Amino acid sequence: MKVKWLINAVVMGCSGSVFANTGPIISGPDVSVVLDGFYQDGQRAFSNRDEGFGLGHTELGLTGSVDDKFRGVLTGIFESHHGSTEIELEEAFIETLALPAGLKIKAGRFLSEFGYLNSKHTHEDAFTERPGVYRALLGSHYFDDGIQVSALLPTEFYLAVSAEAFSGKKMDAGFDDPATVGVVAGKIETGSDIGDSNSWMLGLSVLRNGNGHMQFGEHAHDHSEHEHEHEHGGHDHSSHDHGEHNHGPAYTGRMLYGADLTWKWAPQGNYKYQNLRFTAEYLYLDDLYDERFSSLDGAPSSLSGFYGAFVYQFNPNWSVSSRYSQFDHMSNHDVHGHGDHAHGHFLDEQLKEIDFAIAWHSSHFGVVRAQVSQQDYLDKRDNIVSLQYIMTFGAHGAHAF
Amino acid sequence: MLFNLTRLTGWLLALFSLPAHALTIFACQPDWASLAKVHAPEAEVFSATTAFQDPHFIQARPSLINKMRQADLVICSGAELEVGWLPELQRQSRNAKVSPGGEGLFFTTDYVAVLDKHDHVDRSMGDVHAGGNPHVQFAVADMINISQALSDKLQQLDPKRAAQYLQAGEAFRQRWAAKMLIWKNRALSLKGKKVVGYHATYRYLFAWLGMTQVADLEPKPGVSPTTAHLTQLAKLDPSNIYAIVYASHQNSQAAKWLAERTLLPTIVLPQSVGGNEQSHDLIALIDNSINLLLASSR
Repeated sequence: MKVKWLINAVVMGCSGSVFANTGPIISGPDVSVVLDGFYQDGQRAFSNRDEGFGLGHTELGLTGSVDDKFRGVLTGIFESHHGSTEIELEEAFIETLALPAGLKIKAGRFLSEFGYLNSKHTHEDAFTERPGVYRALLGSHYFDDGIQVSALLPTEFYLAVSAEAFSGKKMDAGFDDPATVGVVAGKIETGSDIGDSNSWMLGLSVLRNGNGHMQFGEHAHDHSEHEHEHEHGGHDHSSHDHGEHNHGPAYTGRMLYGADLTWKWAPQGNYKYQNLRFTAEYLYLDDLYDERFSSLDGAPSSLSGFYGAFVYQFNPNWSVSSRYSQFDHMSNHDVHGHGDHAHGHFLDEQLKEIDFAIAWHSSHFGVVRAQVSQQDYLDKRDNIVSLQYIMTFGAHGAHAF
Repeated sequence: MLFNLTRLTGWLLALFSLPAHALTIFACQPDWASLAKVHAPEAEVFSATTAFQDPHFIQARPSLINKMRQADLVICSGAELEVGWLPELQRQSRNAKVSPGGEGLFFTTDYVAVLDKHDHVDRSMGDVHAGGNPHVQFAVADMINISQALSDKLQQLDPKRAAQYLQAGEAFRQRWAAKMLIWKNRALSLKGKKVVGYHATYRYLFAWLGMTQVADLEPKPGVSPTTAHLTQLAKLDPSNIYAIVYASHQNSQAAKWLAERTLLPTIVLPQSVGGNEQSHDLIALIDNSINLLLASSR
């Protein structure tokens, strides 16, 4: 609890001059740290995790109540990337605690509710990386600056809805004059139990990206060149020249749809000794580009992908997990605008991944994982072995279903 | 327009008027559901867990979120027992009444002389709660205090039925006090007995009966039994020990392994109300637990 003590000291130091000797001190914010380190002997497509030793999502989080009406969350991420340490603010939001009628408003920077995995922190995942379709269409997890209104409806069964508006800059396909509110998203979610042992949840999501489709115009040329490089990064097996390096998605379109299903089982609902979790998601990206591009050879009208994952914890200290995922997309070949028409063509591509992982849980707070992934991509089969630890200390927030 | 206004007023009235129905109560454990039913017979009572589930490892699942959304009162053990799921339920259910600081949130450990509090807690000590041992459904002597506080809380939340709550609370405390005398007498032979336990689930019952848990199948609180640790336990002198005691939701393997080597009897106690056929309410839970402890004569 040294960190907590330190924070308390800082808080006291700051407030000392104003509220000197006012009796008991309000407890400091909850401080949580997630350490994520890995070694892997290859790199996955559309991924930011380098080959070799590296640090994944190392998180430093602060949470606390502002007052009886608001709660604040701040999460910073440290990640190694090509020998340097990147610092990113993943979450910095406030949320209401006491709105009537089951309403909640969140504002600031936060993870979008889109899909099942997206709103979760990566340290909760059962695999070293998110499935290919998530990496390619959401940049592994989409967080942005914006506002969210959500409600739990007063129905007999669980029914939750949320609506979000974001700046959308991370998902900007390269517009000269992007819309101020680039992304709006919505989600509807329901779920229930079947007896004591089974629980399920089903969600439908939609995300409209106003700046998402490939635009035809003056600068369309430059832009598609750029895209081009990106996609070909995979060809010579180095997404390394990640260009300007953003963590945004590799593919964008105007509309992204998602469906997710999660099912969990534990004997008599006792999750301590044994449990089985299954999640499947389907993502569909539509309205990819300007009309003039869609008439080109091989231009698909949409992209889609899915994954299905099982996690079986067979005793309190060990779990095994397996996942199959697929992402059907296209690569650009010399696609660019020229005068009033477009050149080039597209080729269909498919990314297939099979992952198998075994994890040792030293306790509720520590995991050491070994994972083998087989990736079929661009006529090449890669086997990637990863070793990873994820350990947390300090406060540890409760996890969502 | 006029029609709309009347309708709107109707809606607003419906929204803000006090509920005519009895309270909706969400209990984190079946023990508190049982206690709530006795104290508020007309209330709609729901238990989030069963006696066969480890209360530390509950999923913050949709059904529970929805139940908590509807609750006027949430009764939990507290002292961090539900720290892995209750905060998430409170956040997601958006029910300010039962959120931290809300008047509809009731922790039974607040009314118990909690044992094993720690000034300093480090995770290397295992799953230790700074607030002390939270398994207070077996805090027999403190149940009077819990009942009094719960009765007060019910009267505060639903003043219209205050008389009813007052009466139900008093009747319960009388019954409980009478039972305490019977239990104490019946369990006299258990005094001074030493047992091997599994987690500190029965800390309060053992303390009240004058029994001691001299060893734990868990090497550290919340850490599952290991072979190395059990091998150490097998070296204990069995002549000093009365039995190996574990709970309805716990894996029987470790207890059986040790029993085979030490020839000690094993006793499975209900963790909570509903943990076996006999334990249908809180009084029956204590009754049955003492009977099971006594039945293991050797």
